[in-house]
Amino acid sequence: MDNNKKTGIGGKILLALTMVFFYLPILYIIVFSFNDSRSLTKLGGFSLRWYEKMFADSTMMEAVVYTIVIALLATIISTIAGTLAAIGLSRSRKVLRNIVEQVNNLPIMNPEIVTAIGLLMFFSAIGIKKGFLTLLLAHIMFCTPYVMLSVSPKLRSLDPNLADAALDLGATPIQALTKVIVPQIMPGIVSGALIAFTMSFDDFIISYFVTGNGVQNISILVYTMSKRINPSINALSTLVILLITVGLILANVVPILKEKKEAMGKSGGKKGIALGLAGIIALSVLGIIGFGGNSKMDAVAKYGSDTLKLYNWGEYMGENLINDFQKEFGVKVITEYFDSNEMMYTKLQAGDSYDVLVPSDYMIQRMMNDDMLQELDHSLLPNLSELAEGVQNLPYDPNNSYSVPYFWGSVGIVYNHNNVDPAVVEAQGYEILRNTDYKGRIYVYDSERDSFMMALKALGYSMNTENEAEIQAAYEWLLDMNNTMEPVYVTDEVIDGMITGSKDIAVVYSGDATTILEENEDMSFWMPKEGTNLWSDAMVIPANAENPLLAHEFINYVLTYEASMDNSQYVGYTSSNQEVLDELSGEEGLYAENEAYVPRAGYEKDEVFEDNPVLKKTLAELWIKVKAAK
Amino acid sequence: MRQFRNMIYPYVGWLAVMVVVPMLMILLYAFTTAGNEVTTFRFTLDNFVRFLTDAVFLDVLKRSLLIAVATTIICVIFGYPIAYVIAKGPERSGFFWIMLITLPTWINMLVRTYAWVGILQDDGLLNGFLGLFGIGPFHMIHTTFAVVLGMVYNFVPFMILQIHASLAKMDRSLIEAANDLGANPVQSFLRVTLPLSLPGVLSGITLVFLPAVSSFFIPKLLGGGQYVLVGNVIETQFLTSGDWNFGSAISLIMAVIIMLSMWLTRKVDTDPAAGGKGA
Amino acid sequence: MKKKLIQFKNIVKSYEDGKVVLKGINLDIYENEFVTLLGPSGCGKTTLLRILGGFLNQDEGQVIFDGEEISNVPPYKREVNTVFQKYALFPHMNVYDNIAFGLKLKKEPKDIIEQKVKRMLKLVNLEEYADRSVTAMSGGQQQRIAIARALVNEPSVLLLDEPLGALDLKLRKEMQHELKKIQQEVGITFIYVTHDQEEALTMSDKIVVMKEGEIQQIGTPTDIYNEPVNEFVANFIGESNIIEGMMIDDYKVVFEGRRFDCVDKGFNKNEVVDVVIRPEDLDIVPRGQGKLKGVVKSVLFKGVHYETMVETKVGTEITVKMMVSNDRPVYNEAANEKMSANDFYLDVEDVEELDEATIIARADAQAWNPDADELISIKEVDYEIKKENGKYPVTFSTAAGTSVTVNMIVKDENRVTSVENEEEIFAVNFFKKADEIQESIALETDLKTWANASAWSLEDGTAVEISDVKYDFNPETITPGVYDVTFATKGYEYKIDTTDKFEVGDEVGLMFQPEDIHIMSREQY
Repeated sequence: MDNNKKTGIGGKILLALTMVFFYLPILYIIVFSFNDSRSLTKLGGFSLRWYEKMFADSTMMEAVVYTIVIALLATIISTIAGTLAAIGLSRSRKVLRNIVEQVNNLPIMNPEIVTAIGLLMFFSAIGIKKGFLTLLLAHIMFCTPYVMLSVSPKLRSLDPNLADAALDLGATPIQALTKVIVPQIMPGIVSGALIAFTMSFDDFIISYFVTGNGVQNISILVYTMSKRINPSINALSTLVILLITVGLILANVVPILKEKKEAMGKSGGKKGIALGLAGIIALSVLGIIGFGGNSKMDAVAKYGSDTLKLYNWGEYMGENLINDFQKEFGVKVITEYFDSNEMMYTKLQAGDSYDVLVPSDYMIQRMMNDDMLQELDHSLLPNLSELAEGVQNLPYDPNNSYSVPYFWGSVGIVYNHNNVDPAVVEAQGYEILRNTDYKGRIYVYDSERDSFMMALKALGYSMNTENEAEIQAAYEWLLDMNNTMEPVYVTDEVIDGMITGSKDIAVVYSGDATTILEENEDMSFWMPKEGTNLWSDAMVIPANAENPLLAHEFINYVLTYEASMDNSQYVGYTSSNQEVLDELSGEEGLYAENEAYVPRAGYEKDEVFEDNPVLKKTLAELWIKVKAAK
Repeated sequence: MRQFRNMIYPYVGWLAVMVVVPMLMILLYAFTTAGNEVTTFRFTLDNFVRFLTDAVFLDVLKRSLLIAVATTIICVIFGYPIAYVIAKGPERSGFFWIMLITLPTWINMLVRTYAWVGILQDDGLLNGFLGLFGIGPFHMIHTTFAVVLGMVYNFVPFMILQIHASLAKMDRSLIEAANDLGANPVQSFLRVTLPLSLPGVLSGITLVFLPAVSSFFIPKLLGGGQYVLVGNVIETQFLTSGDWNFGSAISLIMAVIIMLSMWLTRKVDTDPAAGGKGA
Repeated sequence: MKKKLIQFKNIVKSYEDGKVVLKGINLDIYENEFVTLLGPSGCGKTTLLRILGGFLNQDEGQVIFDGEEISNVPPYKREVNTVFQKYALFPHMNVYDNIAFGLKLKKEPKDIIEQKVKRMLKLVNLEEYADRSVTAMSGGQQQRIAIARALVNEPSVLLLDEPLGALDLKLRKEMQHELKKIQQEVGITFIYVTHDQEEALTMSDKIVVMKEGEIQQIGTPTDIYNEPVNEFVANFIGESNIIEGMMIDDYKVVFEGRRFDCVDKGFNKNEVVDVVIRPEDLDIVPRGQGKLKGVVKSVLFKGVHYETMVETKVGTEITVKMMVSNDRPVYNEAANEKMSANDFYLDVEDVEELDEATIIARADAQAWNPDADELISIKEVDYEIKKENGKYPVTFSTAAGTSVTVNMIVKDENRVTSVENEEEIFAVNFFKKADEIQESIALETDLKTWANASAWSLEDGTAVEISDVKYDFNPETITPGVYDVTFATKGYEYKIDTTDKFEVGDEVGLMFQPEDIHIMSREQY
């Protein structure tokens, strides 16, 4: 029966299908990274534009460099520390050994998210500034146990007399360690190092919680960017695949070359690896410095530092805004993205520092109350005069003492007028979201604020109500919608979803509606008669900003015609610059025919959100309950 | 060789600071109320009560466990035959297949999961392919199917590797002995191969169940915003609501559940009765 | 006449890499026999067993079991059971379940199973261990469980694949008896594979000696021991002295240049043969009374007897001159370096392959710092040499300029050929300093190295060991001068089992009777 050593035809088919399953996504990434179109599903010709975009985007390149540097450093440190600890452990008393093994198991056996929040709270408690150091410490922390796990079995199978023999023959303890023990357990050390490297290179959850201040790795970047279709992610991923493939090939080829070299009687293989490693580190470090390298000394002289840390919403800036600003002022901008005001607020509270933030109205109000913002120096902001009429004298900051509007708009309903009768939309307003004719055909924006706004307005209440009965009624309204309509809750994905016509009805921000209407002419926009949320996002400088001068320069720059035009054209949101607003919505303008671009003004049922942290928390919890109900 | 013994002490210190202290902080936060100052420290069970008395949160927990269990079962059903075919095949090609299976795990999990977002779209690659045969289109993205698929995709290599390791190290003469004693191929698989590979299956289960139950980016990317699992609730508490005490309590509940299930798994593993008198 | 149970007919088997492991095996096995397949590893004995068990398929030939061809019958339908080399006990089952495994598969009633298992446990003396985990059992116990597990199925043949290999010596002896006892008790055919001749001789009714995929000899243990058919069998079964000889006529054999009577006949006239004399058949007698004369070379105590080696004829010898001097090293004060080297002899044949490293080694050239006692590397070796006899100077120098010049002496008379022994021995004269000889910790090995001594067979060029180094100086007190050193290969040696103790160097005679001489045809290569 020796013939069963061959794989049968059924087995071969199974393996082939498995490989398709494993490699399809990877192939997909690579193919779509060269796709000219923005679509995730349709190929539109060959193009390198996403690569250009990626390489031009210093945030992306920095993430790559950070990922590699952190992975290398964490691997080296945890491999050395783990090996030494494992050797020490193998000689320790049993009690200590058991305790250490148990504690070591914690990071391995605990869900990552638990480890992550533990570290987050720990770092906050001792007041370390989150960023490179915390990220590195966390990575070393979770890599080391894996190294030990890989080294310990080799140590156990080691002849216990080996070290004694070395000492007997005159080796010092250190020599015994490096010349006898370490070479014996080398396979364990190498596989431990490999595990450590992949763990670190791939880590998302722990990194996501412990980093900050603009330091992010590829995983975090992909996560924050993935809300909207962004083929640059594919380009970035292809780059990662390339790096890994090259690395694996090197790891497999170098030993072969080394063997050949040794066979030829020459040494130096080890040196070669060490040199290669040193080279990679040096390159990476140079890379980091290099990104800062294009700034000029004058910038330092003028602003005190040449780096601006910007914390903005994802996909919320014109294509060239950052690059143009960097060039014009000879500075460097580090951008980090958030996907909710609360997330930004939490980060800030946890001690992260940024120079410019772009929060929304109510959040600005809260931050003003919490003394988290700096008063703006209007002498540094001559372009304030350009502000559009609609964003002057906003209730939360009428004199722009703390904030300068960035984008503004409302919330309304986008619907496919081929499938949904406009008359019905106009008659039912938000109630259409509970019209079971459209069951399974709706998107709802995944935010407690906007969802409750919708429900409260539908019920005829104020969206700022504190009346418990009204809130309860709204909760039940949403629950009913959730249970009867099979809604899909989305954030920025709504844009692409509606452009491709996946659903018929969506509640969206007017700016997103602008983009949707531009791309898909089957779509129409309706501002419900029940009233809506008039919102604005504005630029502020937090109290702990490290470079307020440059922050003012940036805010002033955003208000210029060129920057505002770039922003509004690319993102589709309503500009805070009157000239740009007029031009884009004018007869010749890009958005001339687009009913979503200019927000409704002066309608009495429209409101602006007021900050109310307690209410906010209640709504947040109610909202997650709505979503979780099935 | 006492001289190497001292090398453990720095690591013990490191463990205490970087592992034990953070865990204690979770405990501390879980049992206290928000806004505690050192002076007004107040212990409470409110956070646990709040979670465990709320039907919605219990539903979330139940759903997370169900998804994780489903993922684990599918991984076993899918992973076992693959591991078996590889282990039974020639050794050199086995090495090659294992290498091929390991390779994608080197590439960022998020990146690979993100690719599925495109593949599973209503007008995506998979529906396009099925369309060639006149099947579909199916709505897949933002469904339980998509979430489970994403989890299986990410975690099944761990299962395959574990099962393969246990099958590969199995002495071939055991199968021969079973044949020799009158067992046909099916019988020798059921009575010898399967029971002997159980430890591999069990450690595979641990490696799949653990990340599946706490994952939050797979449901978020592939399930959409309405797909709330425990991991998402914890993330929200920490990064959006800022309620660290409640978040810590939920984490603790989850950690306890996982520890319990692993303890159970191990008990099955070491219990001689489990592999005892089969017939 | 017993019934033929198994017939192997012209079994050929080769592995994937093309290596042929069985080259046409023909073998009949009868009922109730204890048959042993004996041979060194790689001889194909296990392969043959696995073919019978059904785990391998032969490339050619037939396996006939009880009159039926069974090549295509899967193992689980064959009426044979196997005891595997490492027992292959199922680790996830206890002792009872392991033994009951086959019966359960046959779906026998529970009470019958219990009865049979109990009986087997009794047979192998493990009645109390039914509920134990097999992994907790000792090697000998596991062994017996494996036997019980196979026998409980009541096979007509039990195959045992080196079953005692993993046990220690004492246990192995015990199990040999136990196995034989069990076989006699259950009365079925045992086919036993081993490489241990003692096991084979102890237990078997019939031994099949195999080598390189071929059967060498089939016979009872006594047949095989007393009348081995060739040198391989003789060597494999017990210890033997094998000497080359020639049959000049029936009952007349010549070896060591003398004619002896023997009891063998039927060889061709003047056929070259191997002569086998077992050590226990030889006696040591006073020198004058022996049929052969020799010198005792070594004596080993073996418990009941002494194993005495007697050399009847010396091997090939060569004597060279060792020139001992008291030369002092050269001292270069400027660089604080000392340097030394000595003249050395070379064979003409070696000139071609000569390189700097060899010259440095042969001249023993060294440079060192006398204060730090650290060696300094030699940077330059300056020489010219031709492929003819003569003296050729060679100069060694260090980077600091310290240098020493010595002579390389090329000579072409450095070898002794022995036609009779079909071997050649080589060594050259050499120069040494007295203190080097005094400091040597393994002088014989050093002498061989210094003289570049080596020996090889003229037949096939393979190396022959130089077993003897003779000299008559005292290395502790050696003074400058010229000394003879003789190197020799092994001559004819006989191993003799004696009860008396002889001293190394005793000159003795060897005695044997005509019936102690066994004549075998020489192996055909």
